[in-house]
Amino acid sequence: MRIAAGVRSHLSRRVAPLLPIVGAVAVGFGVCGLIALWVGLSPSLMFRQLLQGAVEGPQLFETVARAVPLVGMTLAAAIPLRAGIVNLGADGQLALGGCAAAIVALYFPAPDLVRLGMALAAAMVVGACYAALAAAGEILAGVPLLLSTWLLTYPAKGLCGYLVRTPLRDPSTAWPSTARIAVGARLGHLIPGTPVNQGFLLIALVAIAVIFLDRHSSMGFELRLRGLNERFARYGGVALNRQTLGVMIASGAIAGLVGAIMVLGSQFRYTDGALTAPQYSWSGTLAALLAGGEPVGSVIAAVLFAALQTGGFAMERSVEIPRVLTMVLQSVIILFLAMRGAIWKRA
Amino acid sequence: MAYLEMIDIVKRYSGVLANDHVDLAVERGEIHAVMGENGAGKSTLMSILYGLQSPDQGYLRFKGSTLLLQSPLDAIAHGIGMVRQAFRLFESLSVWENIVYRREPRRGIFVDGARARAQVQELARRHGLPIDPMARVAHLPVGVRQRLEILKALYREAQVLILDEPTAVLTPAEVATLFTVMKSLAASGCTILLVTHKLNEVMAVSDRITVLRNGRVAERLVTAETNPNAIVRAMTGHPVTLQTSKPREPGTVKLEARGLTVEQHGRRVVDDVSLTVRGGEIVGIAGVAGNGQSELIEALMGLTVVAQGSVYLQGRNVTHDSVAAHRASGLSYIAEDRARTASAAAASATDNLAMGFHCQPPLAHRGLLQQKAMRKWARGLIEQFDIKIASVDTAVGTLSGGNLQKIVTARELAHNAPVLIAEQPTRGVDVGAISFIHGELLRERERGHAILLVSAELSEILALADRILVMYEGRIVAEFARADADEATLGLYMAGGTRS
Repeated sequence: MRIAAGVRSHLSRRVAPLLPIVGAVAVGFGVCGLIALWVGLSPSLMFRQLLQGAVEGPQLFETVARAVPLVGMTLAAAIPLRAGIVNLGADGQLALGGCAAAIVALYFPAPDLVRLGMALAAAMVVGACYAALAAAGEILAGVPLLLSTWLLTYPAKGLCGYLVRTPLRDPSTAWPSTARIAVGARLGHLIPGTPVNQGFLLIALVAIAVIFLDRHSSMGFELRLRGLNERFARYGGVALNRQTLGVMIASGAIAGLVGAIMVLGSQFRYTDGALTAPQYSWSGTLAALLAGGEPVGSVIAAVLFAALQTGGFAMERSVEIPRVLTMVLQSVIILFLAMRGAIWKRA
Repeated sequence: MAYLEMIDIVKRYSGVLANDHVDLAVERGEIHAVMGENGAGKSTLMSILYGLQSPDQGYLRFKGSTLLLQSPLDAIAHGIGMVRQAFRLFESLSVWENIVYRREPRRGIFVDGARARAQVQELARRHGLPIDPMARVAHLPVGVRQRLEILKALYREAQVLILDEPTAVLTPAEVATLFTVMKSLAASGCTILLVTHKLNEVMAVSDRITVLRNGRVAERLVTAETNPNAIVRAMTGHPVTLQTSKPREPGTVKLEARGLTVEQHGRRVVDDVSLTVRGGEIVGIAGVAGNGQSELIEALMGLTVVAQGSVYLQGRNVTHDSVAAHRASGLSYIAEDRARTASAAAASATDNLAMGFHCQPPLAHRGLLQQKAMRKWARGLIEQFDIKIASVDTAVGTLSGGNLQKIVTARELAHNAPVLIAEQPTRGVDVGAISFIHGELLRERERGHAILLVSAELSEILALADRILVMYEGRIVAEFARADADEATLGLYMAGGTRS
């Protein structure tokens, strides 16, 4: 009896916070169904195409391939968010990371495998340093992170754009991009014949580490409690400035790593704008918001978004339903989730 | 039939019975005290009377007829006014504007300011509540703001006035003035309901007392025929011995401030404060809230920037150290605002009790939390401090004030730190918890720890402190050994006076 009750309370404690998310997702699908009906499309056809496009056959690997950078960018957003900090500069850190990875992979004089390792490390260091710059701005000069991270995106993208247009330009292509990276310095396929590369393993490793530290480390404890009440964390002796710096370094390093994985694993060169065009940092921020920064939930939300996006592409191709509907779906889910606070409080 | 009756009131909040068949009867011109510990149901009962809540069962009778209140506007229309603990005033407007708001005398579409000011002046004169109608509320001291709230109710022709913990923010002199006003209002036929948990006030000013306990009426008493012990017994259900300290030889200086100054917006909110606290000594800082006590404590704790002066903890200069470094040097701190500063409402009791212990064994090992040890630790403290909570996983935001205060106290005392700062350690908690927390503070002193106690309650300072400092406008204006201090003298200094 007591065990059963314990299991039940344990379950309800774990499950209860998820209910509003499930509800918001359901409402999102409902709204999109209504939109489909309104414009004369069959909702069931739309959802079937969406689902098939996301998981059926080879599409599943498309989803996984898309989930890799998206989960990475989600974690980059979720770590600061856990402490109530918003890093809006992930795009800049991503671009700098990808650019740094390309430069090292192209020009660093070392054996291929070493060069690959160095390229990944360089991307993380550059991303981390750039994020740390924003953190230092807030700690030393009081420039709000929300502002500085966002504004620092432009110089980062500008610098990378300049590099690939002028000194590093590959004259053989029409695009402003670097030369192609040698096969040996690339991240190879993880599953042959699919777009899934070894970056999957790196991001999985990062996700496991983030989840483990969040749940089981003193650092994770301090982060979570700061997110719940920053005054309490300060009062309790958490060194907030050091924590801000650490959080931004971790976030920037992950964003940089994602840039490296995209360059070394699928694009094989740094092309101006190519890393930021899919707006992974934006989707990642939304996914992290959806889970309130909690890492397991963030990863699940990111995978869901990746599936929606690949499904959306497939749907657009096969039945010409515009994939903007999947963006509408994402937005509706987030909006309803934001509403939940008010509804829950009133009840 | 009584003048005002609340009959068989039942009010339930998500399964909890806040009012359980409560009857309250009040006569015209009476000062009726409603007493009870936190969570006894006083606030619920009064918010029903003021139309803020509607009862699940039961009804009100006023002047012989049944009263249906949908909102405070209805209550005001029927002549029931309330002065709440947190004043509802427009700070940037003047006194007269606040008083006539929503009932302005008009000339066409314009407010007739001259007539309004005259009305306010006449009202103040009639009730013996002098006030300057032109003064800006933002510039008024708390006592005058309260007078303004009372005038606001009287302007709306209140015949019943509910005063919710009216003395919490007042100096002793202001309290005395308030009591005079209350008595003269009652003499002129106004009925007053006084919600309070302070025994001496009830004894001084009330005619009759209704004591609530666990949502029910525990006792109805006539003030002239009862005594404080009987009231406490009715409130708690058992006799409570109030703690007092015995003198003890103090040890070495453990906490010292020298010429400490804190500036905010160009103003010296803490002005050249020097003080020492020795081991085995409780030093009390008396003063009306808002005279720099919070800022002084923040400076001692490393929570704010110190403009001048220095802080020494056990001989070490920690003036510009972080909070973490202060705590590591042996300082523990019960913060004034338990809900906003000293706890995280959405976090579990386990997490709240682990804060500050989460980096060292036994709660953490090599940077990793030991979940089992954390829960065991929480269970231990909850038991030791007799905290009423469903489980260690319960979010502390659901706890009553007294129990949350015990969580904070338990955690801070568990540090066993040689220096403790206790800021308003019993504000808004019930008599039982006050007695318990006072006992714990005295035990800390017996252990030879140094304690700096900040309190706006003179009775608390007088009961516990060995030495008493009075703070006024950022300065220490007086210092007494406890034997030389009494309420009247302290009150004089708290109000900015000096002994002539």
